[in-house]
Parts: sequence; C-alpha cells; structure tokens
Amino acid sequence: MLQIRSLTKRYGALTALDGISLDIAPGEFFGLLGPNGAGKSTLMSLVTGLRAPDAGSIALKGELLTGSSSAARLSLGLVPQHVALYPELTALENLSIFGELYGLRGADLRSRIDAALEAVQLSDRSRDPVKTFSGGMQRRLNLVAALLHRPKLLLCDEPTVGVDPQSRNAIFEYLERLNREGLTIIYSTHYMEEATRLCSRIGIIDHGKLPALGTLDELLTRLPFEEEIRFAATPATTPFAAQLGAHGELATADGAHRFRPRAGFRLSAFYALTEAHALPPHIFTQQRPTLEAVFLHLTGRNLRDA
Amino acid sequence: MNSVLALLRKDFLNFRRNKAAVSLTFAVPFLMIWLFGWIFGVNRKDSGPNGIPFAVVDASGNPAAAALIAALRGEKAFRVITDHPSTTPKRPLVVADLRPLMEAPGAPFRFALVLPADLVSNSGIGLRLKFLSNPRNEIETQTVNGLLQKTIFSSVPELLGQSLQANTKKFLGDKRLTEFNRGIATAVTSAFGGDADEMERRMAAADFGFGALKQQRDPALRRLDAPPANPQQDSKIENPKSTTADVFNQLVKIDTEQVVGAKVKSPQATSLVGGWAIQFLLFAVSASAASLFRERDAGIFQRLLAAPVTRAHILWAKFFYGVALGLVQLVVLFVASSWLYGIEVLPHLPLLALVCVFAAATCTSFGMLIASVTTSPEAASGLSTFLIMMMSAIGGAWFPISLMPLAVQQFSKLTLVYWSMEGFSAVLWAGQSLTQILPILGILGGITAGVLSLAIWRFNRGKIFE
Repeated sequence: MLQIRSLTKRYGALTALDGISLDIAPGEFFGLLGPNGAGKSTLMSLVTGLRAPDAGSIALKGELLTGSSSAARLSLGLVPQHVALYPELTALENLSIFGELYGLRGADLRSRIDAALEAVQLSDRSRDPVKTFSGGMQRRLNLVAALLHRPKLLLCDEPTVGVDPQSRNAIFEYLERLNREGLTIIYSTHYMEEATRLCSRIGIIDHGKLPALGTLDELLTRLPFEEEIRFAATPATTPFAAQLGAHGELATADGAHRFRPRAGFRLSAFYALTEAHALPPHIFTQQRPTLEAVFLHLTGRNLRDA
Repeated sequence: MNSVLALLRKDFLNFRRNKAAVSLTFAVPFLMIWLFGWIFGVNRKDSGPNGIPFAVVDASGNPAAAALIAALRGEKAFRVITDHPSTTPKRPLVVADLRPLMEAPGAPFRFALVLPADLVSNSGIGLRLKFLSNPRNEIETQTVNGLLQKTIFSSVPELLGQSLQANTKKFLGDKRLTEFNRGIATAVTSAFGGDADEMERRMAAADFGFGALKQQRDPALRRLDAPPANPQQDSKIENPKSTTADVFNQLVKIDTEQVVGAKVKSPQATSLVGGWAIQFLLFAVSASAASLFRERDAGIFQRLLAAPVTRAHILWAKFFYGVALGLVQLVVLFVASSWLYGIEVLPHLPLLALVCVFAAATCTSFGMLIASVTTSPEAASGLSTFLIMMMSAIGGAWFPISLMPLAVQQFSKLTLVYWSMEGFSAVLWAGQSLTQILPILGILGGITAGVLSLAIWRFNRGKIFE
C-alpha cells in the first residue's frame, strides 16, 4: 500500500527524520510509537504532502506522492493531531465542506454524512455548532471528517490526545471496525497502551529513526528477558533494589521498581537477595514486559520521559 | 496584597515577553507620531497647503495682470499652470481648454482663474475675474478660495488705478485726460507741496497710492481665508466684511463657476464617504486575512492540504472571499449614506459597484500581504492598523493631500486609498462614464496584481502552511 524509502527531513540543524524506510501492507493497522518530538507528525506531514522531504520517496500503491499528486490524495485520509474543524459551523456544515473538497455532492454526500454521524453517535447534534461539543465529541467528528471520501489509507496523528476514556474507547472501536472492513491505518501515538491494543505491527520511532519494527511479539523478543519483576519502591526495598540493579535493568516510576534481568541471571540469585534483605515474596509480581520496556531497552529512556 | 503583587508581576512578565504588545505600546505610537508629524509638516517651514495645481488664463493682455500671476506664483500653496499640460510644443492655456481639462479623469487641476479681456473695465470702476472650480474636497476648496482672495486683493490697488484711468479716458479722451491729470497734480502740489511732474507721471501710470491700503487691510484680509458657508453653492466668492475690504468688495467682481459636481445633491457627504468607506474596508479585509492564522493554529491547513487542495486554492478562496465581503460592505455603506445623507447612489450603481469590486480586490490583496509578512494575528493586526492609518493620511482620506509637504505628496499616488477614493469620486462626484474611469480601474487592478503576487510569493516562502 505505502512504500517509504530513505525519507529524510531537516529543520535547519535539526534532523527530524533520518533516512526512514517503511512498507505498509494493505489492510494493516500500523502503529508509530514514539515520544513527543520523535518525528511522528513530521512523517505524517510528509505522507500527506504538507511538507516536502529533503531526501527519499513516498509511494502510494506504486504512485510516487508529490506535492501535486492530487489523485493519490483521494486515497488518503488524515485525522490531524488538532481538532481541525471550524468551530462556528455545525457538524453538518463541517462535514459538508470537507466532503465537497473531495468532489462529493448532493444526495451521495448527504448519505455519507448521515452514516458518518451515526457511526460516531453524533446524529442528534448534527445541527449544533462544533464549539458547543465536548472534547470527545469534537475528536469523534474530527475522525469521521477524514473518512467521508472513503480513503484506502487513513493516517491518524495522535487522534486521542485529551480525550476522555469513554470517547477514546468509542474511537478505538470505530477504528478497529474500519480496519476489519479493510481500511489500512497508520496510527501515531505516544501511548504504548494504544499501540498495544490497536496495532498489528508497530514501528518505534525516536530522534527521527526507526530502531525497531515488527509485531508486538517480535518487538518483545528484542528484549534479553521474557518477564519483568515489579515491586513497590519503599525505604525497605531501596537497598535491595540497589543491589538488584547490578544484575539487569532497573527502572523506577510511579512508586514502583521494574527489574528486567540480564541474560543468564538465575532466579536462585534473586531469592537469595530477597532473603538477605528479609523481603517477603508477596511484594513481588512477575509479568510480561511491555512496549515501554522495549523502548527503554532500545533508547535507554522511558517512553514517558523521552 | 502579596497576591496582587504576584499577579501584577505576572502581567509585566507576560507583557515583556510579548514582542507584539511591546512594539504596539511603545515603538508603533512613536513611529506614528513621527510619521504623522512628517506627513503634515509639523514644525516645518513648508507646513500648510502646498502645490495645489491652479490654472491661470490671461486673456486680458494687460501688463498689470502679469503682476497678479506673479503674485499667485509666489504663493507656495499654488502650483500655477499657464501652459496646456499635454500639448507638444507647449502653448499657453486658453479659456476653452479649462472646462475639458477639469472634467477629464485625473484632471491636471481642479481650480482655474481667468483674467478676461475686460479685466480692467472702461465701463465702470473695478475689476472682473472668473474663477472655475471642481470643489471635490471642501477643505481644499476653502483653502484655495481664501488664498486666492488674499492674493488678488494684494494686487488690486495697481489694477484698480488702471481701471480708474481707463474709465476716465473713455469719458474725457486722451488729450483731455492728460490735461485733467496735469490740472489735478498742479492743484494738489500748489496747495500741499510736492512735485507736480512726478504726481502727474504717477497718475498717468495709475499709481494713486492705493498700495498704502495693503498695510491697513492686512488684518481684515486674513479673514478672507475663513471658509465660505457653502462654497459649492456660492456664486460669488465671499468678500471681507471690514470697511476697507468692503471697498474692494465693491470694486472686484469675481464670477465663480463650478465645473464639476454642480448637480450633486449632497456634495459634502459625497466627497467624504469614499474616504470613510475605504478605511472600513481595509480594516474588514485585513481582519479577514488574519483568519489564516486561526486556521493554521487549528491545524485546518493540514487537513485541507491532505485533500486535493493546494495552497493556491486556499489563497484564492481567501482572496475571493475578501473581495465579496468588501463589495457587500461598500455597497451597504454607500446605500446607507444615500439614506442618511442623500448621496445619489442609485443612478451610479453599476459603475459604483464596479469601482467597489476593484477597490475591494486591492484592499484584500493588501490584507493578504499583511498576513503573509507577519507570524501571528496580533502582529498582523498591529501592522495593518499602522499601515491603514498611514495610507489613509497620505492618501487623502482625512485631509486634502495639498495640506501636506510636497515631498509627502509624492507618496500619495502610491497608496491604494488615493486611487480608491479617486474611483469613488469619479463616479459619485464627477459622474464619469465607464470609459472615463477605466484608467483608475486599471491602476487599482495593477496594484492588486502586484500586491497579491507579492503576498503569494511570501506565503509560499513562509511557514503558515506548515
């Protein structure tokens, strides 16, 4: 569906994208996971033609995307990071304008608008100005505004920023349904939970590079451990954690330690340390590592701190 | 109290970090004061009216008329034109030239003085002159009237003496006039002393010592500069009310003729409304162009440009919106003026609408240029306010251009305000035809094309779409 080759974009001295190559298959739900400033939005803006790359190429279904390739753009839909709607206009008027930009007119446009509003439960607010909508409602409208022309590839640039859990879930369900119906989706986010839930394949992006790319299982195999051990960060566990850190990666966040053992680390050594510090076994939990651990392993930084 | 101080500190910190606010508070007012001082020649020797084109036709053949023309030339308010402005080789203006030239689009002068063949009458004591005007701008017209009277009355004594001699000669004949002058000179010098030959020579030269009156009448004549109550409707230029001035009032007959706009029902409002309209239009379309920033900040350009929409589409749509908005606003303003002040709009509506379209296009391109060279709505608002006020002042929307120093007047014709007002005036005041207003429309179109090209070039180089 989409082929990206050696894509580079610089802003003065800053290299926002550094020779990224990527293939997106038809029907794929691809996640682009990275912290703020990693290059996600720049990649989106290059695919949509908002900016021109300094080097590299982007092809959609074999056709090179350039600034003037309006035919290819008919196959694209963009859900921008901001709520890119006209707040003074009603939901109906907004959708009507964005539909007309793609050449939709008359009854066809009206039926698509009705279906879109129905899909995101906004039919009863269709004649209200968008500025009167809640943040979640605006986000849902922001999403369907990109779908009226039935694109083949949907680009979602952090579409759930600032959205309440209920609306976020509604957006997820709607996107999953669209993907099941065959829509190819590229979804950028800095929430690992979103990427984990939605995406069949994930690219980790940091400082304009893609250090890892694959399914969740493939990414987790990049880790030198299969499980991680969590325990509360308290004064009683601090000396223990300091000693444990010598045997692997130790991350501390939200009042908890996460220990990812180095290859070859034996469980017997762990138990010996707990006994030495008189720590009871029930304070420890063992769990499968997350994308957070992958990101930390690959970049040396936590996703949320990056 | 601590809370108030903390909040106060916050406001000062915010202000200091907001470059647009700092410049609007300090730099822009300073710049405006300086520029307005420059525009109106404050504290300069050449302040006051300057270089008003003023045609003079001397059909009298009287040598004394040259003194009057010289006096007019000596008045810095006037740029005296005595040759036809467009013939090659040059030839002196004749009376028949005046009306066509004053009625023409872009008239080279709007005021003219004719010194007729019967300037110095031999059928009565006094002078006869003719003043032609296109009193499009009331302030300018009043200024011209006042200065013209002052200049004429400064030259009257010499001319008046000639009038007396001519009139006497008609009744007495040459020989008896010479004897009359000799008799008077001898009688006066016998009784009061003096040189009889010198007195006779001066009487023959029409020098009766009226020049001494110039010194006496100066304070009174200054009042001549005061505006007439309604210059457009006056058939005679109003004369001074002092006793001395009354003498001249009786002796100098100035016939006036309004060449253009004589049938305009509401002359004052008609001449003013164009200036008001163009200023409102500039503010409206500048605000409209600044909406580009709101769309950028909302990420709407990203969405639009992901669709089969180009930057050019966005800019053209914004341009046409500005033109439509401007057209509607101008038409509403003119119709409202028609209702409030009786300006005759309906008979001129098609041509007025055409001028409105061109003026709206020019103003919209200006608004887009402002948006293209600034980076925020605040900066755009500050810069457009500054430039609109500058252009309105220099372009003549507030005061006649002739009140500005000559150096400033050179810039007037570079402003869209000037040409838009010319267009409105050509239609509403002068009642000109489509063919006649084409040059003005061409200039407005040219300004639009130039400014819009610059704006589009700047938009494509700028970051508003990124």
